[in-house]
This record gives sequence, structure tokens and C-alpha cells, in this order.
Amino acid sequence: MLAMRQKKDDIDSGFHLEDDAHSHKDFQLESPVVPSSSEPDIAQPELYLPLDNPEAPQEEQQLEIQGLEKPQYPVLVEGIEQPLQFHFASNLLESLEAQGVQLPYQCREGYCGGCRTDLIEGEVAYLQEPMAWINEGEILPCCCVPKTPITLKLKG
Amino acid sequence: MAYQTFNRKTFDTFSQPMFFGENVNVSRYDTQKYKIFEQLIEKQLSFFWRPEEVDLSTDRKDFANLPEHEKHIFLSNLKYQTLLDSIQGRSPNVALLPIVSLPELETWIETWSFSETIHSRSYTHIIRNVISDPAAVFDDIVSNEYITKRAESVTKYYDDLIEGVTYYQNLGEGTHIINGKTIEISLRDLKRKLYLTMASVNVLEAIRFYVSFACSFAFAERAKMEGNAKIIKLIARDEALHLTGTQHMLQIWAMGKDDPEMGEITKECREDVIGIFREAAEQEKEWAEYLFKDGSMIGLNKDILCQYVEYICNQRLTAIGLETIFPTKQNPLPWINAWLVSDNVQVAPQEAEISSYLVGAIDSELSLEDFSDIEL
Repeated sequence: MLAMRQKKDDIDSGFHLEDDAHSHKDFQLESPVVPSSSEPDIAQPELYLPLDNPEAPQEEQQLEIQGLEKPQYPVLVEGIEQPLQFHFASNLLESLEAQGVQLPYQCREGYCGGCRTDLIEGEVAYLQEPMAWINEGEILPCCCVPKTPITLKLKG
Repeated sequence: MAYQTFNRKTFDTFSQPMFFGENVNVSRYDTQKYKIFEQLIEKQLSFFWRPEEVDLSTDRKDFANLPEHEKHIFLSNLKYQTLLDSIQGRSPNVALLPIVSLPELETWIETWSFSETIHSRSYTHIIRNVISDPAAVFDDIVSNEYITKRAESVTKYYDDLIEGVTYYQNLGEGTHIINGKTIEISLRDLKRKLYLTMASVNVLEAIRFYVSFACSFAFAERAKMEGNAKIIKLIARDEALHLTGTQHMLQIWAMGKDDPEMGEITKECREDVIGIFREAAEQEKEWAEYLFKDGSMIGLNKDILCQYVEYICNQRLTAIGLETIFPTKQNPLPWINAWLVSDNVQVAPQEAEISSYLVGAIDSELSLEDFSDIEL
């Protein structure tokens, strides 16, 4: 754990060495500030459950491990210019929705396969075993989180 | 050859293909070739619901106040749903149980079919609550040409398979003369029939049902017929699971490991399957024309529903590894997702406002005037 911290500091100082680093687009991906009070833009809050922005930092985090920050990964979606990230949401689908990316969905728990998306690059980890059929190169964003920076291609 | 209700042979279950292997003997689930079917069974059982749990008293009032053309849309849609579930409540059992070879798959087929019978019962529950003469609605299902036309293409693959399997189990492979008619029976041909049946079931559950769901939810979007929408929501949750079941079967065959012949048939039938999708899409579009013949409703018309048919058709094609056949890329009914989402269906009643909590409720509305004659 200490070693990881050390490593992270190295990366941070690495960024400081470069003068232009702060204005660099990629760098902004890593440290956006999401206001905790912001409410997601939900058309039908009575039907769709999460009332808080899933990508907003939680005040009381569960399972906080001292000295180990919650990993944060840049997410690229083909055809979408806007820089996206995965940080606080409990799954990839929620995270994308909170950042304004619309995906088809139905069950939101891995059995219908409605949110099938192509994973072009990177790796994801499943929080629960998905029941829906997944073809080669596809992921179900409703029940997975990124393990690395990822690139996605939406269906349709 | 003939079907045995309890196969006396000793054989290794793991070496059996999903269909056309040994008849199942012991219903045992300790060892499983495909654990997905066991998972589907468990999920389906956890979804159990009864139509009577949903209160429809406001729907009766809503329905009475609908304009005539909307009554037509609502009832026609309900008739179509009744037809589809009548077929699905029995056909998987009749067609697939005689040829299935894995205990977990056999039980999944039974569980799947059983849940369709709950859907059928819920349509009766809706019709009984909403109109005074249910018989008129049910009788029209077999006489209405728009409905029977589609029943034909939904059932022909099932009937073909059932007929072939009956001959196969009675007479075996070969050329037979039955009632003066020469009939060729080969296992390969039966497997082809099975494959096409499954593809057509996939289309039924993946496209036809969803088109009808869109209509039911379009009413609820305007806060009309909400009890009905709650029932359809529960049905949609089940159908999503059934769809996953057929997609798994199709893809297990496609990989060719389960039964190499089925792998070959998958390749051979590619165009036929696309044809089944195309035919269903055409029929659903014709149906949309019939639904909205006297006028459209707020939020839904013929053109939007046709676009939805194309969108959902493309989506289901890619799910089983086929190319899309329509240009439509965007969901023309984005609000339908919110109705199809099942994570707020049947959670603890105190956590979400769901009608299943109102068992036996009679009047669900209360206004200040109701207390006007009470004096203290």
C-alpha cells in the first residue's frame, strides 16, 4: 500500500514538471470536480431510482481504505467528444448516464442484456455474474466497473 | 425412439446435447452441463407474482373515459398480447419437452412456460376489470383477421416441429407413407426445424412482445391505465428473462460444441433467420397501421411505432450476432426504458410505491369531499 502511494506521488510530481500539463485535456480527465449537490438531469425521477448523482463523491464512503484512493479511470466513448470518467458510480451504466451518455437498458442487473456495449480497449470487472449472453468483445455496463482506462463503442 | 417418461438407460448427462439426445430420466441438478439454465430458473422463481396483487380500479374509470379510437388501440393490443401468451404458455412444453436431453434445461422450459400462464391469467384479470363483456374480447382473438394472420406465422414453426417429432418418435428416420402421403423424416431436418422454431420464438419474445409493451406504456405515460402498465411491467421483466434463455440456446448452438450439427445448421439457416426477423417486422408494421387506423394517440402514432419496430429488430439481431437490417439507429421511444426497468418492481413495498401493496383495494382515491358529511 505504501509502495502504491509512493508510485502515485511520482506520477503527480511528473505532471507538475511539465508546464503545460494543467491545460492539457487528458489531465483534466483525471481531476474534474463534481459538485456534490448537483442533481442529475432525470426526466422521470418517479420511475428511475437514483436520486443523487452517482458520479458525485459520497460523503460517507463505505470501505474506505486508508491511504488508498478510489481509482479513477478515463472513459472514451466513440463518437462522443466530451471527456468522461469513471470514479464514484457503482457501475459503468450509472456513471455514463450521470455524464449524459444515453444507453439502452432494461433490467439494470445483468439478465436482460439490453445495455450490451462493445469494449474496444481496456478491461472491466463484473460485480456480479451477468446472466445475459455476451458476445466476444461485448460488456454489460449495468453490472461492471472499469479496471483500466477504457474505450467503448455504443451499439446501433 | 419412442418417448420415455423415465429413461431406464444409464448414460452420462454431460455428454448429452441440449436436444435430441437421450430422454431425461432423473431430474437432478447437482451436476449441470449449462448452469445458466439453473440461474434462469432461480431468477424466474424469485420474480413470482400474481395478477390479483395489482389494483385495477382506476383503470376501469380511465378506460370508460378513453375516446373510441384509443379504446380500439388498448383492446386490440391486449388481444394480441393474449394471443402471444396463449401460444407461449403451452408451445414450449409441447414442442420442446419431448426432445430435451438435459434436466436443467427441461426444468427451465417448464418454468418458462409456467410464467407465461401467469401472463395469460393477468390478461383475463385486466379484461374482466376493465370491460363488462370479456367474452367479446376473447372471441375476437380467433376471428379477427389481423390477429389470426400473425398467429399463423408465430405458430407454423412450432407446429412443423411438433408434427415432425411425432413421426420421428413413432416411426423413426426414413421414408414413411402416412394416410397416402409420403413423408421423409431425418434427424438433421428435425434439428433444422428446431433451430427455426427457436429463432421464431426469439423474435416473438424480442420484437412482437416489445411492440405491444410500447403501446401499453404509451397509455401510462399519460397517466392512463396505470394498473395495466404495472402488470405489463411485471410481464416485461419475465419476458426479458425468457429472451435471455432463447438467446443462450441459439448461441450455444452457434458455437457448435453442444451439437456440431446444430453449429452447421446455424450457418445454413442464417438467411432464414434474417427472413423471420424481416417478416415479423413487416407484420408488426402492418399491425401498427391497424392499431392507429381510426387515429393516433398522444405520444404514439403509426410512424413512431414502425420506427420502434425497426430499432428493436436491429437491436435483437446484433444480440444474436447478426447484422442490422434497418437504417434506424436511435430509439424513437426513449421513455420506454424507464418503464422497462425492473429494479423498482417488487422491492419491499415500503420502499417503492407499487400497487402490489394494495391487495384487495377497492377505492384508491380519496378527496376532501369524502369527509364533508362527517361532523365532529
